[in-house]
Amino acid sequence: MSSGLSSLSSSDELDNFNPRTLPTTPPKPLEEELASLALTLPRPELLSDQEDVNVVSDGSAAVGFGFGIQRSDEESRAGVVCEENVVGNSAAAVVEGATGNSVWEGIDGTGVMWGRTNSEIEVDRPVSPSSSGYAGERGSSGASSGRSEMDGIADDEIQELNDDEIQELNDDDSVGDNSNSVHSWVPGKRHGDEDDASISWRKRKKHFFVLSHSGKPIYSRYGDEHKLAGFSASLQAIISFVEDGGDRVKWVRAGKHLVVFLVKGPIYLVCISCTEEPYESLRGQLELIYGQMILILTKSVNRCFERNPKFDMTSLLGGTDVVFSSLIHSFGWNPATFLHAYTCLPLAYGTRQAAGAILQDVADSGILFAILMCKHKVISLVGAQKASLHPDDMLLLANFVMSSESFRTSESFSPICLPRYNPMAFLYAYVHYFDANTYFMLLTTNSDSFYHLKECRIRIETVLLKSNVLSEVQRSMLDGGMHVEDVPVDSLPRYRTISPHLGQQRVPSEFTERFKESSAGMGGPGGLWHFIYRSIYLDQYVASEFSSPISSRQQQKRLYRAYQNIYDSMHDKEIGPHKTQFRRDENYVLLCWVTQDFELYAAFDPLADKAMAIKICNRVCQWIKDVENEVFLLGASPFSW
Amino acid sequence: MGLSTATSAVSEAIKLCVFDSRRGQQEGQELDKILFFYPADLPFTKQLYIIGLSEGLITFTRTFSPEAACEVIEAEKHSHVFFEAEPDIWMVLVVEKNKEVLATWRMDALQKLLKEIHSLFLMFHGPIRLLLEKEPTGEVSRSHLYSFIMDYLSDFLVGKKLQLPSFVDCLKERGTVHMLTIGRDAAIEVQALVRTLDSCIENASCRSLILFQDLLVSTSLSPEDTTNLFSYAVLRLTPSVLSSSASSWSYLLRGNTVSHVTQHGGNVGNRVIRPLQHGKWSKGKNGFLETDIWGMEASGRVNSTPKIWPFQTEKQMYLYVHHHKSLTLILLVPASSIPNGEQGISIIRQYFLENASLKIMTVEEKLSKGWGGENAYHVGGYRYLLIDGDRQISRASPPGKVTTLTKESLLAMSKLREKIDLEKSRAKQDGVVEEKEVEVTIRAKNNAWVISRITRRKELYMVLEKANETVLYASDMVEKFSNRYCNGAFSLD
Repeated sequence: MSSGLSSLSSSDELDNFNPRTLPTTPPKPLEEELASLALTLPRPELLSDQEDVNVVSDGSAAVGFGFGIQRSDEESRAGVVCEENVVGNSAAAVVEGATGNSVWEGIDGTGVMWGRTNSEIEVDRPVSPSSSGYAGERGSSGASSGRSEMDGIADDEIQELNDDEIQELNDDDSVGDNSNSVHSWVPGKRHGDEDDASISWRKRKKHFFVLSHSGKPIYSRYGDEHKLAGFSASLQAIISFVEDGGDRVKWVRAGKHLVVFLVKGPIYLVCISCTEEPYESLRGQLELIYGQMILILTKSVNRCFERNPKFDMTSLLGGTDVVFSSLIHSFGWNPATFLHAYTCLPLAYGTRQAAGAILQDVADSGILFAILMCKHKVISLVGAQKASLHPDDMLLLANFVMSSESFRTSESFSPICLPRYNPMAFLYAYVHYFDANTYFMLLTTNSDSFYHLKECRIRIETVLLKSNVLSEVQRSMLDGGMHVEDVPVDSLPRYRTISPHLGQQRVPSEFTERFKESSAGMGGPGGLWHFIYRSIYLDQYVASEFSSPISSRQQQKRLYRAYQNIYDSMHDKEIGPHKTQFRRDENYVLLCWVTQDFELYAAFDPLADKAMAIKICNRVCQWIKDVENEVFLLGASPFSW
Repeated sequence: MGLSTATSAVSEAIKLCVFDSRRGQQEGQELDKILFFYPADLPFTKQLYIIGLSEGLITFTRTFSPEAACEVIEAEKHSHVFFEAEPDIWMVLVVEKNKEVLATWRMDALQKLLKEIHSLFLMFHGPIRLLLEKEPTGEVSRSHLYSFIMDYLSDFLVGKKLQLPSFVDCLKERGTVHMLTIGRDAAIEVQALVRTLDSCIENASCRSLILFQDLLVSTSLSPEDTTNLFSYAVLRLTPSVLSSSASSWSYLLRGNTVSHVTQHGGNVGNRVIRPLQHGKWSKGKNGFLETDIWGMEASGRVNSTPKIWPFQTEKQMYLYVHHHKSLTLILLVPASSIPNGEQGISIIRQYFLENASLKIMTVEEKLSKGWGGENAYHVGGYRYLLIDGDRQISRASPPGKVTTLTKESLLAMSKLREKIDLEKSRAKQDGVVEEKEVEVTIRAKNNAWVISRITRRKELYMVLEKANETVLYASDMVEKFSNRYCNGAFSLD
C-alpha cells in the first residue's frame, strides 16, 4: 500500500495523515481519530502489571499515537493477546540491552516496540505488529479505560515532580547560581500545580505557551494547561486584537521581559522571557517547538481546526511533555538550536568512513535516511539521492528519540514527520539503541518495512561491531572533543589529532608550556575559554569542551546566551552579516568572525589581551582545518540545500 | 485654512496619543481616557483601538514585570513606543514601518522624544495629573496638550509628513545638552557674569543659563532643568531661531487654537498658553526678548512675563531672555520676589544695564574669538557621539559631516545603539548602571567600523569608514580619540 511520501501528492490530506486506515472501515473525522490517540496512552503500571501495551513502555515518555486504526473488537483482543508475548520478550531485550552485552541476536525480532501502530503488515511472524489492537479500541469501554490511563499518568507525573524538585531547583532559570552542578537533568513537566495567579509562576524566567487560535491552551512549560485557560485566552486576545488592526504582533518588551509571538496557522506560540535572549533567538526557539509538534503530528493537524475551531489539541500531545521540556532545556545548552547546524562526534577519519560505508550499504533499499548518533552528535549519516536532512529536523528528531525513554528500552518503529522535509506527511522511523548513548535511526516512507529495517539494522550492527566503530565511539565519548587547552600555539604547520587514542600523542612545545603557565587552570592559551566553529558549507559546527572557568551549568548557560546575542547581532536580517565583532564586557571577551566558509565564536577571559585573542582565534581556525576530517562528517554528498 | 483640513492632509503613518487609564473606566465612556490624539481627525474607533491595545498590554505585561510595564510593541507593520509620563498617564507613539528608507527607528530615541515633550510640558504647565485634578472634565488639560504637542510636532514636519528621528540620527542624543568648550580666561569671565546674574534680586535665589549660539556656556540650574531650558532655548529662543522662524515655521497649527478648544467644547475663557508656538518671540528693547504667549497684563498694553515651573525649585519662576549678538542669557527669578509685567522687566533691565552689560560684552567677545565655527567639533576621520550620562551632556560630529556616512554604516550604528540601549536599561533596572562597562567593535558588511564603548556612565559611539581592516587598528583609533578628546576616559589603562 502506498503511504507516506509516495502519497504526498495526494489531494486527500486525511490519507496522508493516516495513510493506512484499513480499507474495510469507513473514514472517520480526523478529530476523532486524533483524539483516540490520547485516550490510548499507555500507563506505566499497566506495562509492568499486565503487559498488555505494545506502544511505549514508559508512560511519561509515551507519545500517544496509534492513529485510529479501525478494527473489530475481536481483532483488537487478538492483538492484545499476541502482545503479551511481545512485551515479554521486549522486557528481556531491555535487560540485555541494559547490560551492554552484544547479544543482540538473542532478541530475534520479538522485542518489538511500536511507537504508533497503524500498519497492516502481512508477515509470517509469530507476532504480527498488525495485530496490535491497542490503538484501535473504540467504544465506551476503550474510551473509559483510556481515560483512566491518562489519570494514571497524571498521578505519576506529580510524583515525578516531587522527585525532581531539587533537580529543578538546580536547573531552573529563576534560581540563583549553582556553581558545581554536574547533575543529570530530568525532563518532564515542572510546577504543574502552578497557574497564572501564583507568584512563583509569574517569576519563572522563561515561559513557553502553545495555544490554539480560539485561545485553548495546548502546552505550557510551567503550570497546568487547564488552569491556564484564562491566561491563554488573553494571549489569544492580544494576537487577534492586533490582527484585527491589520497587523501582526511580533514582540512586546516590558522592562527585562520580552514577550515573543509566533502564529502558525491555527496554532499560536508565545514565549515570555527575562533571560536577555534576543527576539530572533526566542522566535527561533518557538519555531523549533512548533517543529517538534509537527514532528509528532504533521501539519495535517490544522485540518482539525478547520473543522472545529474549538478543537482541543492537548489530548493529541498527551504524554509528550518530556519531549518539549527536553527541547526547551536544550535551548540552554545546545548551540544547534541557534546555529541551525549539527555537530559530529569526533572520530578518526577512517572510523567515520567505515561507519558511513556500512550505512551506505543499506541506504538504497527504500531507506530515506540512515543516521547513527551518539547523544546529539552525529557519528555518520547517509541519505538517499536528492533527499537532504535539515539540521533543525535532525535536532528535533534526536530530541524526540532521546527524550522518550521508550526508545531506549527496545527497538521501535514510529511515525514521525520531518517538518523541514515535508511537514504534511509522516515518515517512519526505525530506532534502535546500541548502547546507552549510541542509537541508530532508519527513516523510510514505507510503513510496512519494519522487518526489513530490522534486518538492515542487524546487518549494520554486526559490521559496526566487527569494525570496532562502536568501541571507538565509546572512547571518543570518554575523551571528549576539542579542549581549549590543546590549542596549538606555535605556528608550525603539522597534523594534529584531537583524540589521543587515535595514535598520535601531542607533543607540548615550548610555546604551549609558556602559554599554559600564564593561564594555569584558566582555560586555554591567551585566556581562551571556549569556542564554536561553524562550517557554513557543511552545515556543521564543532564546539570545544567547557574549560574550568565555565564549569558550572549556570556559567555555561550564560555563555550560550552571550553567544546567542552575538550571533544575533552578527546576523542582522537587514544589514548583516557583519564581518567581525569584538566585544568585551564584565563576563567575557567575545570574538566573532564570519566569512563565506565559516563562522568562529570564541570566548575569552574578560581581561584577555586583544592582540593575543585575535592570534589565538587564527590558531583555532587553523587547528580545526587540520583536524576537520575528524570533527566533521565530510563528503555527505546528498546534502544539497 | 481650517485646522481640520490641515491635519487631515497629514498622513496616518505616525500616531501619537496621551491617555489617562484612570479615566473612562465605565463602558461607553472610554473616550474620556483620551487626552491627546494625533492625528486629531482619526475616527474615534481607531483612536480607541490604539488605546485599547496599549492598555491591554500594559495590564498584561504587569503580570510578569510589575516594575516596568509595556515599553514597546513591535508588529510587522508598526512599532508602538510607550512612555509612562506620570502614574497612569501614558504617551504612546505609533510609527508605521514602510518601505521608505527613513522608516527605521531606534526605540530609545523615540521614547526620549516622548520624554522631552512631557518634560517641556511640565516646565510650562505643571503635571498633567494636577491639571486634571483642578479641572476634572479634562478640557483644560486637553487643550493645553493639544496646542503644546502640535506646536512641538510642527518642528518635525517635512512637507506634509512628520519625520521623526530615524536611524540617520543615530549620532545624536535627545535630552542632552551641548556644551561650548571655553578657555581658562573666558571661563573666569563667565563665572563672574553668572555670579552677577544670579544675584540680580536681593534675597532671592535667581538662576541663569548662558548660551553661545546653540551651545551651552554655563548654567546654575540642576541638570534636569538645564536640559529642559536648553532644549527650549535651542527650539525657540536663540538668535538663529529668531532670525529664521519668521519665514519657515510650518502650517500645521496656523489656525487659531481657540477653534480647537471650542471643537472639544472646552473652556474658552481659560486661555491656552502656547510656549512652543513659532514666531512668538521677538527682540525688544535693550536686547530683551518679548512675547505675548503668556497674554497681556490687565492693562492690556504690556505682555505678561513668561512663567515656568523648574523641577529644582518647585516654585514658579519668571523667565527673562536677553540677547547680545550670539549670546543668549536666560534668567529665572522667583515669581514671588518681583512684580509681573512691565514693572518687573524694568527692574531687570535696570540691573543688567548697571551691573551686567559690560561683563556680557566681554564674555561675548572672548567666546567669539575662541569660536571655531560650526565644524569646531569635527575630528577628521571620525564620526562620533560622546555622551556623559552623569551630566546629561553630549558632543557629536557636526551633522554636515555625519551625512557623509553611507546608509549602511548609519543603520549598523543605529542597530548597535539599539542593543546597547537594551543593555543599559537592564543595568539600570539592576541598579548597576554605574558599573556597566562594555566595548563593542564591529566590522560591518560594508567594511565600516562601528564602535561603542560604555564606561562609568560615559558613552562613545563611533563610525569609521575607509579604515584599515584589523580590529587592532580600530581600537587604536578609539584609543587616540579617547586620549585626545576624552581625557582618556575610554582608554584601556
